[in-house]
Amino acid sequence: MPELSAALLFATGAATGLVGAMLGLGGGVFLVPLLTLALGVPIRAAIAASLISVIATASASATVNLNRGLVNMRLGLVLEVATSVGGLMGGLAASRLTQRQLFLTFGITLAVMGVLMAARSGKRNVIADLDVDPGVLGGRIREGEKTYVYRVKRLPVAMSSSLAAGAVSGLLGLGGGIIKVPVLNTFCGIPIRVAAATSTFMIGVTAAASAFLYWSRGDVALGLTAAVCLGALPGSLLGAHLSERVNARYLKLLMAVVLLVVAVRMALEGR
Amino acid sequence: MSQPTALDRVIEGVLSVGLLCSSALLAAGLLSGRQGLLSAGVVLLMMTPLARVVVVTIDLLRQRDWPFAATSLWILGVLLFSLYMAWRLQAATA
Repeated sequence: MPELSAALLFATGAATGLVGAMLGLGGGVFLVPLLTLALGVPIRAAIAASLISVIATASASATVNLNRGLVNMRLGLVLEVATSVGGLMGGLAASRLTQRQLFLTFGITLAVMGVLMAARSGKRNVIADLDVDPGVLGGRIREGEKTYVYRVKRLPVAMSSSLAAGAVSGLLGLGGGIIKVPVLNTFCGIPIRVAAATSTFMIGVTAAASAFLYWSRGDVALGLTAAVCLGALPGSLLGAHLSERVNARYLKLLMAVVLLVVAVRMALEGR
Repeated sequence: MSQPTALDRVIEGVLSVGLLCSSALLAAGLLSGRQGLLSAGVVLLMMTPLARVVVVTIDLLRQRDWPFAATSLWILGVLLFSLYMAWRLQAATA
């Protein structure tokens, strides 16, 4: 592994944490490509560092989101049943894949989600009628002066995407928000801010389910991980605060563009 | 869902304490170059979500919200199983 200064790693962590939190992701989706492609860190060490910093950033963003009442805790609990199992399986499977397979899987995963996000950027998922019963898992969200009600649709889709998100998290060091947020928003009727907040709430648990395994395999490079985490924390807190001021539509489009660019770079690395 | 509940506050507290303590350890480890502090910081960070699940589970059990308490227990079980697997892996490589 190349000698990298703690300051550079700190800055990398801060930048990815900021952008990640603004998009409702842990930031691993940008951290792993940056560490591997730009800084030459071996992909396994990058994934392990990302997983641990994802725990830090997701927990930090979760405190902000809980405070705003954006987290749908019941829905989060139900979906964590699937993500935690996925995270465990991904963490166990990770040691069986080669570097190249990891890069390719990473690229393909991002490309699919980017396309999905771009296609749905103009839709809304809330019901303006306040008398609608949100059901056991649904809820209400306030946006400006208005309160909207949403119901959770297609729970099995939400559960399977959460399982997949957990597996991707354990395998690639992403929190899995990259899969859950678009699916919850697109197919399950959950407003993007609630989807992002609830996903972030779950991500700490998802990442922890596989982080223990990386730790015991000796993949966690301590200095690297510490510097990245320390940068990611303030970055993600700032990002979570800023996310409220960003228009949801632009948020989705921005996410789509970034995903596609990163996807191509990662896939090229896996050729 | 626009006002934080009492449980939201407790979770917020658990996460904040875990984050503050682990980042203090990580910063001290980086500045002093002591690996022990870095390890402790990383381990504490990995344990923070586990602590959150424990708190939520206890709260749901106290509320006698059985379906959701069972849900939370399942998640706790998965995390503990992962810890057990990690412990076995480490024992095998040591």
